Amino acid sequence: KNISDFSLNVTDCTQVVVPEEVFFTVAAAGILENLLILIAVVRNKNLHLPMYFFICSLAISDMLGSLYKTLENIFIILCKMGYLTRHGDFEKKLDDAMDSMFILSLLGSIFSLLAIAADRYITIFYALRYHNIMTLRRASVILAIIWAFCAGSSIAIALFSYEAATVIPFTILFPLMMFFILCLYVHMFLLARSHAKKIASLPSSSVHHRTNMKGAITLTIFLGVFLCCWAPFVLHILLARFCPHNPYCACYMSIFHVNGTLIMCNAIINPMIFAFRSPELRSTFKKMLYCSR
Amino acid sequence: MSALRLISNRTSQQALSNSDYTWDYEYYEYGPVSFEGLKAHKYSIVIGFWVGLAVFVIFMFFVLTLLTKTGAPHQDNAELSEKRFRMNSFVADFGRPLESERIFSHQMAEESQSLFHFCINEVDHMNKEKESQKGPSLESNTHFQEVPKSSGMFEEDLQCLTKFNIPNFVNTEQNSSLGEDDLLISEPPIILENKLVMQSSHRILD
Repeated sequence: KNISDFSLNVTDCTQVVVPEEVFFTVAAAGILENLLILIAVVRNKNLHLPMYFFICSLAISDMLGSLYKTLENIFIILCKMGYLTRHGDFEKKLDDAMDSMFILSLLGSIFSLLAIAADRYITIFYALRYHNIMTLRRASVILAIIWAFCAGSSIAIALFSYEAATVIPFTILFPLMMFFILCLYVHMFLLARSHAKKIASLPSSSVHHRTNMKGAITLTIFLGVFLCCWAPFVLHILLARFCPHNPYCACYMSIFHVNGTLIMCNAIINPMIFAFRSPELRSTFKKMLYCSR
Repeated sequence: MSALRLISNRTSQQALSNSDYTWDYEYYEYGPVSFEGLKAHKYSIVIGFWVGLAVFVIFMFFVLTLLTKTGAPHQDNAELSEKRFRMNSFVADFGRPLESERIFSHQMAEESQSLFHFCINEVDHMNKEKESQKGPSLESNTHFQEVPKSSGMFEEDLQCLTKFNIPNFVNTEQNSSLGEDDLLISEPPIILENKLVMQSSHRILD
């Protein structure tokens, strides 16, 4: 078959297009929300704790992801309007830079979630020694190491993206991290459950089973949201690397922009399930919003 | 990234009609895919992936709720009753009625703080055994004597008591305000702990 022919078959999987307005709205909402969290943590002295530093790190990586999508759309619009050429060297370098920003955002998200889970784990299992184990300085050092590693690997992956050697570790890292985070949370959850059982065995207590149900729901939301928002994209990378010419894979890859929008939705949902759960942060928010009026 | 370029390349070929995306990379040889003679539905990977993901998340949820219903197999009953006794005696020593539901409520952090004072004092006592304590604190020290001094048990007790200070693990039905503010989130114990370390010295030594 002549490969240069366009087979505009009616059964083709055409690219599923997300309207630009939806893209920009979702991206702007994600950037604003995470920026507000950063400002709130910086302004309130009570929030200068390792736990909130890790939440800030997550907010930064979410912001980077949304920023990437926004910039990409802006560049596409600029190309459409003719301000940028298609084949220029500058555009290719820009594209490389933006790809690395996106991978940085993904890796940053994964490692921030891992850091948050580890921090909570230490809080619960080493509670009395927590402030010795997790000082502010150590938290900053950990974050610096994480971001240096993410920056280095994102640049490496963006430069060598067409090698299988980069795609495979990237896609293995994702489920590995998820599994590790799941183990940490399950262990914490088991402790909470045994704790609740002890309370239930005390006299004159009527702790309901629903309390532990809430724990299960919360845990499922944590991991389910991350999985549902990032896994489609990771699968896309795998399929693009290993079976680009397969019609089934091509049909999956046609929903690429929906996957991208999902990642930006993750940037909006993450603050709600991590940052806004803290009453201190919420009250800082309210103060910020009411003071500005 | 190859994935993005790949899809951008594809879309550029369809861009003649859509005029949405205009990037293409000539070094990337990627032709259109023929969709002739497909046995299964063309979106089968999409559907299969999302169904699999949903099943996995629901499975994870059910596993977690099953963990809720089954007991902790390694919990020793004797150990449990012993700890229960100790917890009762600790709370009674502070002259407060044992309100087990409200102890763990976020709003009753002061009560858990009192238990935590106890823990902090135990830590101090263990660490500074040779240091002479001031007069008023000697009274509370007598309670400490009842606690076995073996470090393993001590750690366990502390762990047991520290769990009280995690306000969000156990949500009691009386506190509807705690509904949204639940597991594993909210104020870390460290904030209370910092306050406790400061307050404990006032409470014990005054």
